[in-house]
Amino acid sequence: MKFSRKTFFSLSILGIAALVVILVNNTGGAKIKDLTLATHDSFVMSQSQIKEFGKKTGYNLKIVKLSDAGSLTNKLVLTKDAPIADAVFGIDNSFAGVATKAGIIDGQLVATDFGDVCFNYDKKWFSSHKVTPPTSIKDLVQPNYKNMTVIENPNTSSTGLSFLAASVEIFGKKEWPTFWKSLKANGVKVDDGWEAAYYTDFSGSSGKGAYPIVLSYGSSPADEVRADGKSQTAAITDGCFRQREYVGVLKKGKNPKGAKKLIEYILSPEFQKTFPTAMYMYPAIKGIAIPVKWAAFAGKPTRTYGDTLDINSNRKAWLSTWSEIFG
Amino acid sequence: MLWVAPLLFIGVLFYLPLARILSLGLSGDWLPSIWTPHILGIFWFTIWQAGISAAACIALGIPGAYLFYTRKFHGQHLVKAFITIPFVLPTIVVAIGFTSFRKIALFAPILQGGSYIPIILLANVFMNYSIAVRIVGTTWSNLDPSVEDAAALDGAGRIRTLTSVTLPNLRGSIASAGALIFLYCAASFGLVLVLGGGKIKTVETEIYLSATQYLDLRKTAGLVLLQTIITVIAFLLSRNRGENGLVENQSGRPNRRVDMRDLPAVILTFAFISFVIALPILKIFLEAFTYAGRFSLQNFANLTGKGARDLLNISVTHAALNSLRNTLIASLISIFIGVLVSYLISRKYGSPLNQKFRSLFDLAFQAPVGISTVVLGFGYLITFTTGLFPLRSSWLATPLVASLIATPLVIRLVYPALISLNRELLESASTEGASDGSIWMEIEAPIIRNVLLTALGFSALISIGEFGAANFLAYGDQATLPIILYQLISRPGTQNYGMAMAASSLLILSVAVIIYLVTRIED
Repeated sequence: MKFSRKTFFSLSILGIAALVVILVNNTGGAKIKDLTLATHDSFVMSQSQIKEFGKKTGYNLKIVKLSDAGSLTNKLVLTKDAPIADAVFGIDNSFAGVATKAGIIDGQLVATDFGDVCFNYDKKWFSSHKVTPPTSIKDLVQPNYKNMTVIENPNTSSTGLSFLAASVEIFGKKEWPTFWKSLKANGVKVDDGWEAAYYTDFSGSSGKGAYPIVLSYGSSPADEVRADGKSQTAAITDGCFRQREYVGVLKKGKNPKGAKKLIEYILSPEFQKTFPTAMYMYPAIKGIAIPVKWAAFAGKPTRTYGDTLDINSNRKAWLSTWSEIFG
Repeated sequence: MLWVAPLLFIGVLFYLPLARILSLGLSGDWLPSIWTPHILGIFWFTIWQAGISAAACIALGIPGAYLFYTRKFHGQHLVKAFITIPFVLPTIVVAIGFTSFRKIALFAPILQGGSYIPIILLANVFMNYSIAVRIVGTTWSNLDPSVEDAAALDGAGRIRTLTSVTLPNLRGSIASAGALIFLYCAASFGLVLVLGGGKIKTVETEIYLSATQYLDLRKTAGLVLLQTIITVIAFLLSRNRGENGLVENQSGRPNRRVDMRDLPAVILTFAFISFVIALPILKIFLEAFTYAGRFSLQNFANLTGKGARDLLNISVTHAALNSLRNTLIASLISIFIGVLVSYLISRKYGSPLNQKFRSLFDLAFQAPVGISTVVLGFGYLITFTTGLFPLRSSWLATPLVASLIATPLVIRLVYPALISLNRELLESASTEGASDGSIWMEIEAPIIRNVLLTALGFSALISIGEFGAANFLAYGDQATLPIILYQLISRPGTQNYGMAMAASSLLILSVAVIIYLVTRIED
């Protein structure tokens, strides 16, 4: 290759062209028919559902997954002046306050589904080790359950934050740090996120880890049904946090009309009925049938926590107290 | 007039976001927000892990420099090229390599017990060893061997000669290599993010966390100030010789063959290269071809998909195409700007810039080396979301940051080539009435063609691995390969893990090919 005049000029022109593109920028690129939904990693909408939605409304739906509910909310707050999506699904009651305070939602957040953050245990592990499984979260600080529990860091996981909030309500504003100190002394393992805790460290799921107790969801046992038709795991129905998920239209989005159509679709019976099977959550709309088999394995707490808490104004204080204990 | 374009480029894309962070940080009570035991602990860890890593690289690099630059042996060129690979690998691939390294039984005793620090230090040394070898080695090969010979004749043993004659002469190069390695380790982001398991934090990862998890922009800006102080000091210390760890000055010293007395250096260097450099790379390839415990190509087939439970927004192949496009754009921009700047600062005639102004101009374009891409990504987020340049929502933001980081390297390569051109030739052409443009076109450009191709290779390497800024800027279907790799490795599941290994092995191969091509051009 000879470095000729021609090559030099084409190189310069390419460079200049790139600079021009930068200065002109390309915000006006999106077509009106495109619709973007920002959500967390656990959201499931099948290809056929996306196609069906497209056929009905004429919108080409793109889904952008942004890690967990906390990261999702934060990223949307950071980019609120030029939002990366038109609608959001999956902001939950722990983070709804962040979203409304930052003013990222156009109108109201609408409840779509709920679930319970509960501890799960590996039935097989407890029977083969001849240990009585725990029945209450207060058992977790007992010496016979030492080094058995894995949880999620409330700083980085919305599941972890849910349980931290529940503990405040259960033990009270003054006493909750004492519970956590005993939990730490009893050898609790803290993972960054739910997936690492559940799929790697928990003994009752695919990772076959070393911890027979995990902070997960009341409905998780329905996902661990083995060949014999029984679930390998069960939920501890005491001390569960009721997590509610919402959908909303993003302010300054390019396609608010489409976003409203999508919310209608998510609230329609045909999509609502997929929440239990696809996402292990209960539909928020009343009268939606829940699969019999699924309902049989999901833990049903007698009492849940979280609805009376002001999570938004307390989060920072709770987290810093928690971080001091676990620092 | 020519300098308007590069000044506009660096002014808008680098200094504007930096100024925005500074004004945000200094506007409030930034000092109290970072003067907490927690942050000071992070600050202290950032410093000492970088210091230890730099010291280890130097200690291991001196025998390496001796073997590779003052002795000769069979396969020397190949091994020398091989040890360069870690430095140019995307940091996320290095992190993935050491994630799998953790599983090697031999290392279990030192790496177990939930301790993350030894593996971070090892990964730092893995990446930066070749900098020490290269910088110290080139200086060593330029030392006058007769001084050492004279000392030997006077009866000084090898160790005496080394400590009293050679090392003092290498002091400058050791200091600048150390400062450069310190800079890279203090600014390392992806390594700590992946290998630290969320428990080990450096200023860099804390910047990312406080922006994206705590939404505390003021504290983030305060942390950026702290980080910038660390990196700018290290950068200025390393700069006294204009080193960047990649550019090599050839020497003419004839090297002797390795003999028996070199045995300690040989054993140390080759043990290090086999266990710390070759093993993690080998392990990635082994795991890439293993699926469900057997040899398989399944992991590679999975790359066309989105991972277990449809974790990813786009397939790995789609991300690879994004990365390819970004790399191409970033390389072209950095070559264009880099050449233009080199041309301007090397000009003797026709430029209004005097000597002082020229060196300021040079420093202005070298400064991005001292600023981390996490900082730039954050700066883009708060500067370019709205306003005159709403760049953030454009896919161009990611390659632009990469081009900023690559431009200084292009200048470091092109500028010396330009000033080494025969001045008389240029002057006679000039007196014969040829214009600046035609001198450049007819005489200078062909001579620096090889230098340009080398620069193209290195800027491609820099931009393909860019991770810090992409974390802030590349969302959804614009995700790059490093972003996708991070998602895969930070989520459990054998399928995701296998895909991360397969994609990493392909990246290592492409990097090796680029390195091979660049060394061929150099020869």
